[in-house]
Amino acid sequence: MHVVGLFAAVAIALAAVPFFGLPAFYETFLYLVFHWIVLATSWNILSGYSGYFSFGQGAFFGLGVYATATLAAHYRWPFLATLPMAAAAAAGLGLALGTVVFRVKQVRGELFALLTLAVTFVLATVILNTSIDGGPGVYLSAVSLPAIGRTPASTFYLLELGLAVATLAIAWWIARSRLGTGLFAIHDDEDVAEVLGVPTFRCKQVAFAIGCALAGAAGGIHALFVSYVTVAETFSITVPLTVVLMSVLGGTRHWAGPAVGAAVITIISYASTTGDHVLAGKAAVGVILIAVILFMPEGILGTLRPGRTRSKRQQGEVPQAVVPAGPGDQDFPRPAIQSSTTGARVLSLREVSKAFAGIKALDRVTLDVYRGEILGLLGPNGSGKSTLINVVSGYYSADAGSIVFDGQSIERWPPHRVARIGLARTYQIPRPFAHSSVLDNVVLTAMFGAPALSRRDALIEARRWLDFTGLASKANALPAELNLHQRKFLEFSRALASRPQLLLLDEVLSGLTPTEIDSAVGLIRRIRDQGTTIVLVEHLMRAVIALADRIAVLDQGSLIAEGMPDDVMAQAAVKAAYLGTAANVAG
Amino acid sequence: MRLTRYAVVALLVGIMALAQQASAAPSGPPVRIGSTLALTGPLAATGQVHKLVGDIYVEQLNARNGLLGRPVEWIVKDDQSKQDLARTLYEQLITVDKVDLLLGPYATGNILAAMAVAQRYNKMLIHHTFGIPSLATYDMQFPAWSLGPDPATTFPNTVLDALAASPKPPKTIAVVTSKFPSVQFVAMGAREVAKKRGLKEVLFLDWEFGNREFGPIAARIKDANPDFVWVGAIGLEGNQLLEAMKKIDYMPAEQFYMYPAPGPMVKAPEAKNALAATIFEEHAPFLNNPGAAEFVKTFNERAAKAGLADTAVETQAAASYTAWQILEAAVTATRSLDDKVLAQWLKTHTVDTIQGKLRFNGPSNYGDDLMRVKQVQNGRWVVVWPPEAAAPGAKLMVQ
Repeated sequence: MHVVGLFAAVAIALAAVPFFGLPAFYETFLYLVFHWIVLATSWNILSGYSGYFSFGQGAFFGLGVYATATLAAHYRWPFLATLPMAAAAAAGLGLALGTVVFRVKQVRGELFALLTLAVTFVLATVILNTSIDGGPGVYLSAVSLPAIGRTPASTFYLLELGLAVATLAIAWWIARSRLGTGLFAIHDDEDVAEVLGVPTFRCKQVAFAIGCALAGAAGGIHALFVSYVTVAETFSITVPLTVVLMSVLGGTRHWAGPAVGAAVITIISYASTTGDHVLAGKAAVGVILIAVILFMPEGILGTLRPGRTRSKRQQGEVPQAVVPAGPGDQDFPRPAIQSSTTGARVLSLREVSKAFAGIKALDRVTLDVYRGEILGLLGPNGSGKSTLINVVSGYYSADAGSIVFDGQSIERWPPHRVARIGLARTYQIPRPFAHSSVLDNVVLTAMFGAPALSRRDALIEARRWLDFTGLASKANALPAELNLHQRKFLEFSRALASRPQLLLLDEVLSGLTPTEIDSAVGLIRRIRDQGTTIVLVEHLMRAVIALADRIAVLDQGSLIAEGMPDDVMAQAAVKAAYLGTAANVAG
Repeated sequence: MRLTRYAVVALLVGIMALAQQASAAPSGPPVRIGSTLALTGPLAATGQVHKLVGDIYVEQLNARNGLLGRPVEWIVKDDQSKQDLARTLYEQLITVDKVDLLLGPYATGNILAAMAVAQRYNKMLIHHTFGIPSLATYDMQFPAWSLGPDPATTFPNTVLDALAASPKPPKTIAVVTSKFPSVQFVAMGAREVAKKRGLKEVLFLDWEFGNREFGPIAARIKDANPDFVWVGAIGLEGNQLLEAMKKIDYMPAEQFYMYPAPGPMVKAPEAKNALAATIFEEHAPFLNNPGAAEFVKTFNERAAKAGLADTAVETQAAASYTAWQILEAAVTATRSLDDKVLAQWLKTHTVDTIQGKLRFNGPSNYGDDLMRVKQVQNGRWVVVWPPEAAAPGAKLMVQ
């Protein structure tokens, strides 16, 4: 509320500026500041939050410029009526582009940046070589400006102020919304985000469309502001470069970071317009910017208010959940068998196959997992265990066969949809979202997993599972500050917060000390006691025997044994698969 | 004897008065003249020329008693080659700095941005090198570049007149042009003019400004084999096309370049006999115009000292100097700094400038098209057409 109130107060105060009787220059200068705030902040909604650095902001801005210029100058549309069209045209281009590139996993990072830059050149070429411009530029002197303010300068000022306020409000809202949470997760690890339930494609599309629309609207206003638009000036490479620089300077993970960067750069850029030493002034500005970026790599706001501090503030609003949490069990008594093949099937695989470049990673695997059990999934390295988890969780699509989870065929579902119906997984090597706090890592799955909680409820849920796993005291830490044991438990917390029916644990015990293993085994047992079905992929035979109700063994992609642990381990095929590791089996 | 005494006294008084006038320093509050220039950014090379010319003119002006006996202060800001910044800075010059008079920025886009601001505040705007007269719709803007109101028609006629008077008048033409606004529209006009004059167009093509691949363009021209090539080139595009044609051992019989970078082109061996547009060159009869010789000498020295790539006075420097001459003439004649008074005087009078007599009573306040045709001859630019503007003894050379 403090932010909202302060934001509203500043917006109202700025709206009153035209009534102070100041020289028009100040309104025009502030217009330029707002203009860059809109361009930088709108860029940041996709590129800053999700890490998809776009160099195409000039294209969306330029499309807005030419949409307004064409409609107003050639078709005599009222200026204000052109602005929604400018926004829609830019958003449409963004959506069309995103529909293609966001589906391709290879188009990330620098490839995405280059592709968006290429779109700018293509668009400029199209506009230059068609009747939209054709070469001479478009002059808007005949376009009348609506009298929103007392003077034309006031009108431009108020229009751009309104757009800047709307842009910042949208950026602020997104940063706190489900969409923003998903985008921040995409920034750190898109694959994991998808598997944990984030509809990554939709998140990127929505963010891109919103950002493009805002840039297009800014272009529409700017067309009349400069009154003469040319392709060379409009689609100049300096637009995207400036926008990126502003955002990085201010801090891309903060909703207001790009606005701060835009204001700083616009002001210092203006400061070097007078005097006889403009070149020296510009060089000094460049040196200052380099120094700031070198010594403040997270940007101004990122440095002043890092993620941990932000999480702590948010956390302060959250009621503390009271969940009894015990230490890990100190021994491994064999569990009483709580379920067996007589229970309800929660997961059924039938003839599931998956091959990579002709090598069969899974070969007609048929397997059932029953509600409430712990199924140990064993096999030597390369036997297909991790592939099986990836296929079941939707990360890989099966080449053949069917996968039924909770009565639904999921073999063609995207990972986030699988996660939403209660199927969660952990990673052998923990893959937390590096720039989010421990708490925020867990909050995400509560929001995007099966319960689909609001952020406020997700915070309560996340606290609960951090208590459960003993990580409550680390809630505000960044993942990098955790040891391996704690990061493994963070994986547990994250998976549990999605309230899974079935939890796929991929070698969660590897790399842990004996004491830590004891703790983890106790935790797994308590998870199952809460009613969660578990598939446990593990090399540590001692723990598997202690935990598993049943065991399935894979070898070279095929299921070679399935049944009670003692029976399975006694089978000759299993022993053969584990030849040379008999000592471990004996345990 | 008595008469002689009076005569001596009168003579002494006269000499003292003249001496006093000659050494009078301007006094009082300065007349403040505001403008922006592209001192940094992509247009900076030309912006620096205008800055140097302005500095020279203000020094000369203050040395001859300023304007209305008051010193002249030139407030020049760097618009960084950006239209939106140019617009903002003109708003600052008018509403914050409260300058008395305005001079335009460089180039066409920035001038239009400044023109809109001037119009909003009813300020007169004299500008240097505005390339598209039809866009200059404000009635208190005055061009220092004497293109005439319809250069797309008048100037191609001037060029084709020159060629028609040559020993080998062309019968076929190729028009190739950059899609840079101020050269493209003249190239399109050249097509129309050539058609009306009976020349057969054997090739037309255009390229995007910023193009660096001129090989295919050169090959197309060679294939078309025109008698004359009109090249709508700006800046270094002309040199790039010449180099591309040289690589394929081709040289058109006659070739014209609209606004080439004058220094690099005159130094290129392959540019021999190339034609281009100009309003001023460093030879008679231009040097006979008021203030021209002194300005050329000073500019050559100061440009060399400032390290400018090209120290010669041609279109840009001449238009810049002309703008100041127009301003001074109007203020001196009206003894006023009122924009409307000055504008009204300019519309009804001619001004003697280093490029000739300028008038502003035509469409968009444009007067005569004083564009000339110059040619690279013996490693220097010389005006060859029209005859009254040609360098002494110079004639159009053909291949």
